[in-house]
This record gives sequence, C-alpha cells and structure tokens, in this order.
Amino acid sequence: MSESKFKFAFYLGCIAPNRYPGCESASIKGLKKLGVELVPLKGASCCPAPGAFGSIDLNVFYAMAARNLVLAEQMNMDIALLCNGCYKSIWEVNHKLKHNKDLRDGVNEVLKEIDMEYKGTINVYHIAELLYNDKFIGVEKVRDSVTNPLTGARIAVHYGCHLTKPHKDREFEKEIMLNTEHPVWMEELVAALGATPVEYRNKMQCCGAGGGVRGYDIVHALDIANEKLINLQEVKVDALTDICPFCQLQFDRGQIEIQEKFGVSYNLPVLHFAELLGLAQGMSPQDLGLDLHGISCESFLQKVL
Amino acid sequence: MARTKGYPAALDKKLQDTKFYLDDSNPEFTKNVKAISRTTAHMCYQCGTCTGSCPSAPRSSYRIRLFMRRAVLGLENEALTDPDLWLCTTCYSCADRCPRDIIPTDVIMSMRNLAFKRDIIPVNFLKTVQAIYSSGHGVPNNDVNRAAREKLGLTRDPPTTHMYPEYIKGIQKILDHYKLKANADRIVKEREG
Repeated sequence: MSESKFKFAFYLGCIAPNRYPGCESASIKGLKKLGVELVPLKGASCCPAPGAFGSIDLNVFYAMAARNLVLAEQMNMDIALLCNGCYKSIWEVNHKLKHNKDLRDGVNEVLKEIDMEYKGTINVYHIAELLYNDKFIGVEKVRDSVTNPLTGARIAVHYGCHLTKPHKDREFEKEIMLNTEHPVWMEELVAALGATPVEYRNKMQCCGAGGGVRGYDIVHALDIANEKLINLQEVKVDALTDICPFCQLQFDRGQIEIQEKFGVSYNLPVLHFAELLGLAQGMSPQDLGLDLHGISCESFLQKVL
Repeated sequence: MARTKGYPAALDKKLQDTKFYLDDSNPEFTKNVKAISRTTAHMCYQCGTCTGSCPSAPRSSYRIRLFMRRAVLGLENEALTDPDLWLCTTCYSCADRCPRDIIPTDVIMSMRNLAFKRDIIPVNFLKTVQAIYSSGHGVPNNDVNRAAREKLGLTRDPPTTHMYPEYIKGIQKILDHYKLKANADRIVKEREG
C-alpha cells in the first residue's frame, strides 16, 4: 500500500463508534486506500452534542469543544470527522474561537484549570469534504478505487444540516458545497461508486432529530423523518445514504419507531457514505457491521453484490 | 415596563407610547438575546421566510417568526415559558434564507440559554449532561457494540474517553466550573424525585 499523503486526527464522536462502528472502520480503511491516514484522537469526548449543550449554555459548549480541539493541537494535526453534528461543534467552535478574542479568552480561562490552552493552530474537515475536494482525494480518485461498482442501485442522498448550514458561516474551498438549496456534490460521489443518484422532493429537509427534539418530543421528530421517507418512497430508491450518524440513527432506528407509532413501514436501508464506499471498495457486509443496522440492508446488498 | 421621561407623573403617563412599551416588555431581554446569539434579531422585519422554511412549523404551533418578534419587543416571559421554544431542530434553514441575514436559530438557542438560567429546560437535555459527566459520551458504548467492534478489527472501546477514562476528570472540571452537573442533578431530582 502506498504511503499516506495526508494524516488527520480522527475525531469519532459518539454515535458512530458506539452504535454504527462500521462507519468508523470503513472510514479508516476506505480513506487509507485513497492516501489519507486517520489516526486515533486519544481521550476525545462527545463533541459536545450541539443541540443539548448549545441550548443549555453556549459557554460550556465552547469550552467542551475546545478541549477536543486542543487534543488535536497537541498532536499538531488537523481533525477529520464523520458526523454533521460533530462538524457543527468542532468546526464551528474552532472557527468562532479563531475569530473572536472574547470567546477565546473565556474558553482559555476555563481550560487553564485542566492545564490546556486553545491556540487556534489546526483546521477541521468532514470526511465527505476530503473525499470531494481533489486537494485531498477528489471524485476521480474515489472512482478509481472502486472494485465492486454499485451498478444498478438507485441511491438518494440525505445531506443533513450541520455540515453546510448556515452557509453564511461556512468556508468550504469547493464553492459548490455552499449551495444549501439544491446541492449535487454528494450525488457526484454516489455516481463515482457506480450507483445511480436519485433526486427527491424536499431533499434538503432536516431529519428531525436535532436540537434535542428527538429526546424532547419523539413523535414530532419522527413525523419530520416520515415526511422524508414518504418523499423517498415516491421515487423508489434502493437505499438512502447520509454523512451523519445521528441522521442515520433517526432514519434507520427511526423507521422501527415510525412503524410502532404511526403504523407505516418502508424497510429502506440507510447507509453512511463511508459504508457505501467500503462496499464499493470490496469490503464485505460483515466487515462493515451492517447487521447492526435497525433496518436490514439485505435487499440493497442483493442488488450490488 | 414603560420608560419614564422624568416628567410629572400625569404627563409621563399621557406621553407614553402605549402601543410599543408593553407592560411585560423587558428591554434587557432584547440585549441579552443579542449578546448570547451574536446575531441581529432586532433587524427582523417579520417577512415570515423563517417560518415558511421551518420543518417544525407544519406539525405544531411553533412559529419562529413569533419568537423573533418576542426578541424585538423584549417579551421575555412569553418567549421563555412557551414550550414551543424546544421544538426547533436547529436545521438552520431559516438562517440560510433570511433576507436580513439574521440567524434565527441562534436567537432560539440564546433564548434556551436564558430559559435554563430560570431552570426552564426539558429533562432530556440534562440527561445528556449527566451521561457526558460520567463517561465523556452522550451516547455511551454497550456490550453488543463492544463485541461488534471487535469483529470489525476495532478496539472494544473506541480510543476516546471510553478507552482512556483518565481524560474524564478534565471534562468534569469544565462542567463543574459552570456548576452544570450540580444544576442538572438538582433539576432532574426536582422533576423526577
């Protein structure tokens, strides 16, 4: 295997390592094949959950996220992560602290108590961004790494919210990623795996889980997800892909809850893009822990394997 | 509360703007929302693009535009005691479409921060704090997942605070600095006994 061109501290968050570990292993193995090495970020914690912590006290939110950032600063490494919620906490707090001295001073006053100091020396990336941006990997290299093209599979994309919204606060090198009304860059990645990307009504709608709503009023949160599932059913897709394990939890385990509470079922497989990439690069469903999903991926696997 | 101009009481009363200065309006609330949210709620001209973009609106009485108005008018009690305050999924669609470049989502977050100072907070938010205080994770590992991780060639616990619990102390110090765990425990106990 060729030497890795890029190295990142891999920030895991909570739901990927503790509920969908296939996302973690597929990211590590899949990106390694593309010249990007993801190394453990020892001692990282919850990002912290932007909905819960941001709602309670933004100062705590800043300080907790800063602690994770400092761990990577100490390794002198940029962070890569695989969850939109984590991106909101880790990228956005890094950005805010870099540009607002008052916030930075406040955070450092607290971090001093645990012998840490936020310096603002690193950057934060989502792996979807690394895959899309040819400065790191790019669509062509993703296509070249495919050994098992997902030919014939109709796949819809759920972008989620916190990677790209609010776009006026984001700073992607690839301008197309700042389009939050009708982006198509993830569809390019899906096509690179050999699958057919499928458009659907109100694609950019939220999954409904964020902001603490899933915990506060579960049927409200599920009704939002259900609206998307209805729109997806209209266009007959074989799978939904996401880039956020929390959205994945909402659509995957959420389908079981929707069945229980609303009496409707879809059996729509929901896979993180890293899991799709793993399949297309020849990893087996067992290597990806797809049996841990709430909704069986079998119907989709029969199409692509 | 109506502002006094320092005139004799009868004139002060006669020359009041009774439409704008509502009895329950608190100008400090408007300022606090601005300071915490770091966005300009007072620039809102009530076009309603935010509510039109909101995934929570069609399935509830939650109206983000109403909260924006409350921010402008300083209607603190009305905003903070409305249970709809907790129905924002923080999708930021309103922020992306706001023609005044306001971030309404962050206005909601600032109001939630101010509500918490008055112990107004749904319990599920506090339970996340408690989970992170004890394990570092909001969604902790379990045995089924440990076995699965092992099969995937991963460590049974991820290389986070789970594998290195010595880091949890730092997290606890941060949360204790803000007395967040103590407050969470107290409020959860009051609600659930």
